[in-house]
Amino acid sequence: MITTRKPRRDKDSQMPRKKRTCRFCDAKEVYIDYKDDKRLSRFVTEQGKIIPKRITGTCAKHQRQLVKAIKRARHLAMLPFVSDAIR
Amino acid sequence: MEHARLYETTFIVNASLDDSQTDAVVGRVQDVIVKNGGAVNALNKWGRKRLSYPINKKTNGFYVNIEFTAPGTLLGALERSFQLDEMILRFLILQLDKKALAARAKAQAAAAAPPPEAAPVPAREPLFKEGPADRKS
Repeated sequence: MITTRKPRRDKDSQMPRKKRTCRFCDAKEVYIDYKDDKRLSRFVTEQGKIIPKRITGTCAKHQRQLVKAIKRARHLAMLPFVSDAIR
Repeated sequence: MEHARLYETTFIVNASLDDSQTDAVVGRVQDVIVKNGGAVNALNKWGRKRLSYPINKKTNGFYVNIEFTAPGTLLGALERSFQLDEMILRFLILQLDKKALAARAKAQAAAAAPPPEAAPVPAREPLFKEGPADRKS
């Protein structure tokens, strides 16, 4: 007798989840340059905050490099420390 | 022979100066490097850019990037000359490490060779938005 039973799922797998990969690993980056402000600005919110890696999916190693690059770019006024929206 | 390392510096010159004055400021920086036993490898003028936030009440700056080899003793002198120069708004001095050089070599190789079916990266929405709009719920 064959009983068809759905495989058991745990809670997590029921949530639709997109696999995020580190974009820097995908591109095989070895160094994140502070001069590339257009690229860095993608990892910063509209307010100028650095987006956490749990949201971007960046791996820990590259997130550390990224944070450093963003901070360097901020020092040179290529990225804002804060950019407040008009209220 | 002192140990010489590869460095790069980026600095912002007051954008209200005209071109000859800007060149004079850049020339002064180069002088400091050469006089202290360094050698300028590359000089890049990125030109006038808008600053993300005002520095000394100025909203524009002229960006210059210099790559140089120098003994470590030069850095103090260079830093001091940057601080004394009132036409320089900001500066950053970095040592170029192996990874930075490798990344640049890769970028140059990619630029030299025509990219094989270069997949254009689609413009993405910001990954994470915040602000008053989110708080409607």
